[in-house]
Amino acid sequence: MHDFTVVVGVKQVPDADEVGLDPDTGRLDRASAPAVMNPPDRCALEAALSLKDAHAARVIAVTMGPPMATPVLREAVAMGCDDGVLITDRAFAGSDTWPTSLTLARVAEHLDADVVLCGEETTDSSTGQVPPGIAAHNGWAQLTYVEALDLRPEEGRVVAHRDVEGGYEVVAADLPVVVAVAFGSFEPRPAGLHRKLFAETEFDPRELSAADLGIEEEVGLAVSPTSVGGMETVQPVDRQGEVVDEVDDLLGPIREAVA
Amino acid sequence: MTEIDPDEYEGVWVFVEEHAGEVMPVSWELLAEGRKLTETTGQELVALVIGEDCEAVAEAALAHGADRVLVADDPVFEPYRADPYGAQFRAMVEERKPSIVLIGGTHTGRDFAGRVAVPTHAGLTADVTEIDVDEAGILQARRPAFGGDVLATILCEDHRPQMATIRPGVFEAAEPDPDRTGEVERVEVVVAEDETMSEVLERVVGDRADITEAERIVAVGAGVEGDLEPARALAAALDADLAATRAAVDEGWIDGSRQVGQTGKTVRPELYVAVGVSGAIQHVEGMNKSGVVLAINTDPNAPIFEHADYGIVGDHAEVCHELADRLSGETPELIA
Ligand SMILES: Cc1cc2nc3c(=O)[nH]c(=O)nc-3n(C[C@H](O)[C@H](O)[C@H](O)COP(=O)(O)OP(=O)(O)OC[C@H]3O[C@@H](n4cnc5c(N)ncnc54)[C@H](O)[C@@H]3O)c2cc1C
Repeated sequence: MHDFTVVVGVKQVPDADEVGLDPDTGRLDRASAPAVMNPPDRCALEAALSLKDAHAARVIAVTMGPPMATPVLREAVAMGCDDGVLITDRAFAGSDTWPTSLTLARVAEHLDADVVLCGEETTDSSTGQVPPGIAAHNGWAQLTYVEALDLRPEEGRVVAHRDVEGGYEVVAADLPVVVAVAFGSFEPRPAGLHRKLFAETEFDPRELSAADLGIEEEVGLAVSPTSVGGMETVQPVDRQGEVVDEVDDLLGPIREAVA
Repeated sequence: MTEIDPDEYEGVWVFVEEHAGEVMPVSWELLAEGRKLTETTGQELVALVIGEDCEAVAEAALAHGADRVLVADDPVFEPYRADPYGAQFRAMVEERKPSIVLIGGTHTGRDFAGRVAVPTHAGLTADVTEIDVDEAGILQARRPAFGGDVLATILCEDHRPQMATIRPGVFEAAEPDPDRTGEVERVEVVVAEDETMSEVLERVVGDRADITEAERIVAVGAGVEGDLEPARALAAALDADLAATRAAVDEGWIDGSRQVGQTGKTVRPELYVAVGVSGAIQHVEGMNKSGVVLAINTDPNAPIFEHADYGIVGDHAEVCHELADRLSGETPELIA
């Protein structure tokens, strides 16, 4: 039925607008912030679903995380994805971007992906390294900062508009390909009522473990090249925060600033 | 798992990013910062140039502080593509074993860095804003985390190279010294066109402004609703450069090279005027090193007022025009 399989990576992150400081420790309290889908991933989902609209592609959302992350898959299915896969295993704990992208690379192979779509980066770790990492692990082509995407089945490749400093480029890349979508492109569609009901009442994600992917020894803390050596709270920059009534009141500060 | 001997790895490499002969300014910022690292480690500072016909760029890299320049010169590298760049860079890393590799955190740098780090199993830290090296040669790469409230130090102790992409604009470039000499070495090109997986059909690059050096900035946000004229008038009166939030860039009102913030540039002008900007943390991260910050916004509760020294609640067009009128008479004295 489906000629193409599109796999979309989505991640659950703490809602950036709701992360507060722990009053006792002065540290960021991420645990109490509600969990949401990483906003840039919604653009990736939209890009995937537009390929489904145009080419009857099968779209599968995947997420790595604990079972608690299932709501992001439900959200993806509600938006129109055909299926959702939860990649979950204690062995993944402590993974940096190297094993994370390896895992997603194996999942993409396992699901026979022609196109892997990802958000530009996550709002919690904001490295943007996972999409190129997936491509590198599989030796596939990649396109990042993509603003428009066209699948050309007859050519066996995709053609994309990439945002580059000072302009854009139009690039063709061979399938299979990993595409990271520029945040702000691909306005995400709302979930349809029917689909939403299905996602909430009937949908259960498929689960895959490290063993299912044959990578038990290649994930987790032990194979992660990077580690966190320390965290310092950054002193917020001290600003006057003075709101003036008249435009004329701004002239003094401007003169002083540029003196 | 790959076991390596870190002691076999030596030297600091800086990637010099060029497109059709034009060098991205972050490359020179990294050479200046790389110089400081080699002063601690006593090792060589090597610049890496990948492109076509890049003799002039290689010479410029020497002038900007490199001890040696490695050049991979071939038509396959122009215009830029991730797969040939990644393959070439990887081959050079595997052959020559650098300890530290610094790459500008541009779209290009962030695009191909993983194609080097993944196959070499290197540690790659993204979006770094401070670097240091200890006596043992371990790179301390610091990066803002959790929306900029925390600075995390990322280490890569057992793997090499220690790679980092560095946010443009956070370090200062050194004045080039045309009398500096060093070795320019052309390396073997390991990529052939028929092995590539991608093809650039068109590349359109216009405004590639460098706002990181600007002394004064007027930044527009979504609140100007496409009407840039008032902000331009204010910028003219202040002799300031125009910048923008990502929202304004995404609308297509202004080019992405003028975007300030986490995924744009870091700026540090003496005066930053935020016009119709809400003050999202991803934007504030790029401008909080500014001297004095002014904010113009219709919403008295906009977060930008907490990140500003002075604010005024009002419509962008009215306030900008009024300010521009008041200032235009006196700009010459302001500059003097
Ligand atoms: C991964 C990621 C990376 C990002 N990177 C960046 C980045 O590098 N830089 C960046 O800027 N953003 C970045 N963002 C986006 C950021 O989160 C905000 O969405 C963005 O900064 C908002 O832009 P804005 O302030 O122009 O728009 P809005 O948030 O829409 O604010 C518009 C403001 O204009 C005011 N306004 C409305 N009408 C008027 C008027 N007539 N006169 C005056 N004021 C008016 C409103 O009150 C409001 O405060 C990133 C987001 C993500 C998820």
